[in-house]
Amino acid sequence: MRDQGGWIQKLLRSSSGHAGTLLGLVMAAGLLSLPALVFGADAAPAAATEYRDVPYVGSRNIVWVVAQLHLLLAGFVLGVPIFAWLCEVVAWKTGEKRYDKLAKEFTKLLTSAYATTALFGGILLFLLISFYPKLMNYLTDIFFPSFIVYCILFLVETATLYLYWYGWDAMQDGGKKTFHIFLGFMLNFFAFFIMIVPNSWATFQSSPVVLAEGSDMARAWAATWNPTWWPVNIHRLIANVVLGGYICGAYAGIRYLSAKNTEERDHYDWMGYVGNFIGVFGLLALPFAGYWLMREIYQYNQQMGITLMGGFLSWLFILQAMLIGVLFLGSNYYFWLGITYRIPGSEMKYRKPMLAMLVALLLCLGVWMTPHSLVASMEEARKMGGSHHPLLGVFGVMSAKMTVANLMILVTFMSFIMYWRAGKQETAGWAKVAKAIMGAILASAAIAVIILGVWGYFVPAIIRINYFSTSQVLVVLGVMLTITPLTALLLRSAKTTTEMVWGKMPPRAGYSLVLNAVMVVLLMTLMGYARSSSRVHWHVYGVVRDTSPYAFSPALGYAAALMALNTFFFCMLVAFIFWVATMGDKAKAPSGASKGELPHGLPAMAGASSALDEPKAGKF
Amino acid sequence: MSEVVRLQLIGLSVVGCGILILLFIRATFVRVIGFVAIVLGLFTLVALSVPQMASLPPVEEKFDMATVKTPTDMATIGQKIFFSKGQCALCHTIGPSESARCPDLKGIGAKLSREFLFESLTQPQAYIYLDYRHEGAAKEYPARMPYINKNPIGLSRNEILSVIAFLQQMSGEPISVTVAELEAPGQAPAAPVKAAQSGPVAVAEAH
Repeated sequence: MRDQGGWIQKLLRSSSGHAGTLLGLVMAAGLLSLPALVFGADAAPAAATEYRDVPYVGSRNIVWVVAQLHLLLAGFVLGVPIFAWLCEVVAWKTGEKRYDKLAKEFTKLLTSAYATTALFGGILLFLLISFYPKLMNYLTDIFFPSFIVYCILFLVETATLYLYWYGWDAMQDGGKKTFHIFLGFMLNFFAFFIMIVPNSWATFQSSPVVLAEGSDMARAWAATWNPTWWPVNIHRLIANVVLGGYICGAYAGIRYLSAKNTEERDHYDWMGYVGNFIGVFGLLALPFAGYWLMREIYQYNQQMGITLMGGFLSWLFILQAMLIGVLFLGSNYYFWLGITYRIPGSEMKYRKPMLAMLVALLLCLGVWMTPHSLVASMEEARKMGGSHHPLLGVFGVMSAKMTVANLMILVTFMSFIMYWRAGKQETAGWAKVAKAIMGAILASAAIAVIILGVWGYFVPAIIRINYFSTSQVLVVLGVMLTITPLTALLLRSAKTTTEMVWGKMPPRAGYSLVLNAVMVVLLMTLMGYARSSSRVHWHVYGVVRDTSPYAFSPALGYAAALMALNTFFFCMLVAFIFWVATMGDKAKAPSGASKGELPHGLPAMAGASSALDEPKAGKF
Repeated sequence: MSEVVRLQLIGLSVVGCGILILLFIRATFVRVIGFVAIVLGLFTLVALSVPQMASLPPVEEKFDMATVKTPTDMATIGQKIFFSKGQCALCHTIGPSESARCPDLKGIGAKLSREFLFESLTQPQAYIYLDYRHEGAAKEYPARMPYINKNPIGLSRNEILSVIAFLQQMSGEPISVTVAELEAPGQAPAAPVKAAQSGPVAVAEAH
């Protein structure tokens, strides 16, 4: 990030003369001509216009790009405060100042990121009003009370953000710090509502409900409480945490790669670890939320569920499996690199378990990526006895996919526990018993998940969906909820046998962090396309039909190209935001954490800092 | 050059550029951009390698009364509707399949009367037909039959009659639906479809 600052500044300097003026004029003219393009596309009276288009590019493509960027930025600005607030709370509780510094570093991004998000939101709104006047009129008629709520939320969110950011240094001691933590909580509280209000508009389009006659408020409320609203709210909330964590990781990865001295390498290596940890933390819960959402979709409308999972979008879920699989592999790989390079001497000890976990993950990924229905000619289908392959078809069904998804979560959790325990020697008298219990819990859970998965083939689907899949989820959650506190207790009295060494990770660790972030963003763009396409040729499913020339969902290849473009734009925007936000720092002396600030252990967030062995300075 | 080939070439170019950047550029941020380009290019190429299916809006089967001369003509249209606008094949199979979400429709035209078929399509919850071909308890399916005459599928009466003609023909039965039963455009329904219990979507539309 430091490097790119140089060349961008050079570029700006080089264009500061007449060329720069010319460039500015061209850009301004381009921006000013945009509305002319939009309104010039259709000269019909506004009242009669249902759609407007932009020649060559297409109105839908423009809305697609802008809406996607707005949503990704929104995920970023909603995920980062959660991330920052969690770090601040950890700093507050443990007294480790580096967490506070990290939280502040990310909160600093929020002001510029927030403005950029709002800018894209404004552009999106104008585009929607211009391109889809009939639909927007329909939605406004239903939702206008919540538009007002949304505006009020924005006002209080902005005020809270200003207080939270500008009051950071002034509210560092005693009761003031507690108030600052409270402000951070309120910031996230309002941000949550800012997320769920527009979610109601989007989910209503997918799962509209009965709108009884009544007051405007009653109609808006009824439309808001549609069947997929809460599943989407929860899914997006967790996804935003994941996005925030992995973006932090990617930022740290790039800064680590371009670090000029040991202090910077140490600091950004640690920051990368924290980002990856928070990303994985959310990632483990995300599939459960996704499963709930799909269940609600199926219950709401069978056709929509089948369009998603078994219809023309079924191959999309193979791509989704690939992206999630790479994300799981990338996150685990980063943990394994950490064990190998940060804890000297651990490589040989953990090589076999790491290899076993890699094989398990790859096998699970293979099953997850097996398509349910094969696209085959009539002749091929006849030979196979249907659209399902006689052998591969066994792995293509939901019972198998749910099983491997749960197993991948278990493996990743094991990776994390392994990393946590590496370089520690348990000293508690009950350590052996505890380790045996944890091993038994993990093994039993894995066996239970597999048994339920295999059994799922022999019971009616409704029983599998309602009981077996839910039980698998509960088993895995149970493992996490029992082993995490048990390990924390066990390591509280453990002694460190090998000091943690920061800043020794190879460059590929930085690239794996970048890869993870790109995977998360791609996943969000992919699932956005899925959600939108599941409505097929309806703006509001079954109610307002899309009669525009774009009343079709493009094939995956075309959509993927746009997703890749959106992901690239988003990455560049985030890089720009980081660059702008840290521009002031570059003028100062390098302010990376000093060596003395970095305890030689895992962060307390992971529960295994060696700092726990030492008296905590400055604890409130 | 097809769109897929064009996109594949773009994807390959992006991956190529990324590789060149990693090979020859030393600036860290540019190298990261090259790496991201490779990842995004590969993703696009993988997405282009899976079957490319666009979801087109259903084609409205036009009932040109002049061209529909026989019940067989109706069955031909019904077959098209069965596999397209009607979305029947999304859940139903014609022939046994363990993974089917809904009952197998092979021979259904011989097993059920046309009135029962009509009711099953327009009032699917009026009578729940359990599949007793399996040993033990009746097989339960996860899918619930939607109202075919309501949105989002919304088949017209003519279209439903054509589907019934197809089901009867496919079962080797004489087609009992006649051309005379079809409604001419603008004509009031001969036997109005009894209003079924409205689903949420249908009611929402009414408002």
